[in-house]
Amino acid sequence: MSVQSLEIRRSSASVWGSPSGMRSVPTVAKYIDTSTCIGCKACEVACQEWNDLPPLSTRQVGTYQTMPTLDAGFWNLIRFDEREVEGGLMWLMRKDQCMHCAEPGCLEACPAPGAIVQYANGIVDVNQDNCIGCGYCETGCPFDVPKFHAKTGKMAKCTLCVDRSSVGLEPACVKACPTGCLHFGSKEDMVALGSLRVDQLKKGGFTTAALYDPQGVGGTSVVTVLAHADHPEWYGLPRDPHVPLGVKFWKKWLRPIGFLAIAAAVVGAFGHHLYHGNKGYIDPGPVDPGETKG
Amino acid sequence: MSKVVRQIGFDEGAFVAREKENVVVGNEIIRHRLSSRVIHWSVGVSFFACLITGLPVWTPVFGWMATLVGGLSVCRIVHAWFGLAFALAALVMSVHWWSEMEMTKEERGWVGPKLLEYLRDAANHDKIGKYNGGQKVYFYTSGLGALGLLVSGIVMWYPTSFPQWIRELSILLHNVSFILFAVSLVFHIYLAAVAEPGTLNSMTRGTVSKAWARIHHPKWYREVTGQK
Repeated sequence: MSVQSLEIRRSSASVWGSPSGMRSVPTVAKYIDTSTCIGCKACEVACQEWNDLPPLSTRQVGTYQTMPTLDAGFWNLIRFDEREVEGGLMWLMRKDQCMHCAEPGCLEACPAPGAIVQYANGIVDVNQDNCIGCGYCETGCPFDVPKFHAKTGKMAKCTLCVDRSSVGLEPACVKACPTGCLHFGSKEDMVALGSLRVDQLKKGGFTTAALYDPQGVGGTSVVTVLAHADHPEWYGLPRDPHVPLGVKFWKKWLRPIGFLAIAAAVVGAFGHHLYHGNKGYIDPGPVDPGETKG
Repeated sequence: MSKVVRQIGFDEGAFVAREKENVVVGNEIIRHRLSSRVIHWSVGVSFFACLITGLPVWTPVFGWMATLVGGLSVCRIVHAWFGLAFALAALVMSVHWWSEMEMTKEERGWVGPKLLEYLRDAANHDKIGKYNGGQKVYFYTSGLGALGLLVSGIVMWYPTSFPQWIRELSILLHNVSFILFAVSLVFHIYLAAVAEPGTLNSMTRGTVSKAWARIHHPKWYREVTGQK
């Protein structure tokens, strides 16, 4: 859904970008601390409730996970994984959702004007009225987030509760979290909170702890504390996410080159005709039978 | 054929061109019989249907084209079906003209310098049969382009059924095939409809004048008229 009161920073398939920048809007972010998550799934339920998404049946994957992946009707998934680390068993949980990238691959790939927007506060949102259901965003996303609704054929994903945050409320998942592992605020504050927690973890023996805020996509508006940040894949996170090369090359190079090549062909053909005239000129002969050529 | 009453103004050329080609009728030669022309235009029309529904998805610069068919979401649906029709028509055309498009050793030069020589009016036409090397090159590039568009188009039709790298590769292949196809098409249309008067008629009514045949395809002219 698009929120009218929020200034738009970027809009999909827009030729000249967007007129954002009139106001100073701080970038917001959600803080997720995987080390204090207990896997209660209150956030999953709160997300379904607030966004009025009908309940889906659990699909067993052999762990406590509700679904194998995110879904157009299920925007918040706690992923479970078990790992043996230095002789002990680690039970890893991570809240999977849209990361709200500063440089969103979905928005980059989207061909429908205004279907995916990035508000000035950093939230990446889908405007389903404009979505044509082509699936390019799914190719553009390095986190496998965009999913298509079977009934509407349109993409749907986490909005960072833009309808709540734009009126000063925290997202529904943050409100419901019982352990305080979720926080919402300015990106600056959330990163500061993350560094504090990372320091604590490091002192507690988790020497590889770090805040996951991947710079390959310009940073994200969902920052995640990982106790084992040297293995982000244990949490189902890519090591170095970026907008896929194919998508970048297509939009930045192939499209303008193609555009110019076709234009050059038209200009070339026209120029050829101006210079060479007809190929295989056939003298029409005298127009009137009585007229003689001279 | 004998059942038709030949009144004054009866178009003998068009009549014969329904079933035969490479035959002389009066001052004209039948170049493309009806079936050849129908196949050609089914490729042409389906391609342009794809073009006006594909360009607005390619770049918002052509967004205005989407309004011709009722919006971008209509484009997303019909483009795939038009594409299927185009691929089918291109397949039929490839089979239809395959035997006439075999390239001799000499004609392979058309891939490079000879094409430019031709455009500069500096080429010797004497040995050119029904189709010149450039036309044969166009036959193969457009066929390859259509194949690339079809294969990548199927992936892009149902992107969620394919792994990431295939989807990325398909988008690139669809772009490259389209650009190749479009650039050659510009020259195809220019040469046929503008630069060589009398050529367009061979694909509409099916006939060309003897003078046209002698200038552009002398070897074919000699074969058809029985001259040496």
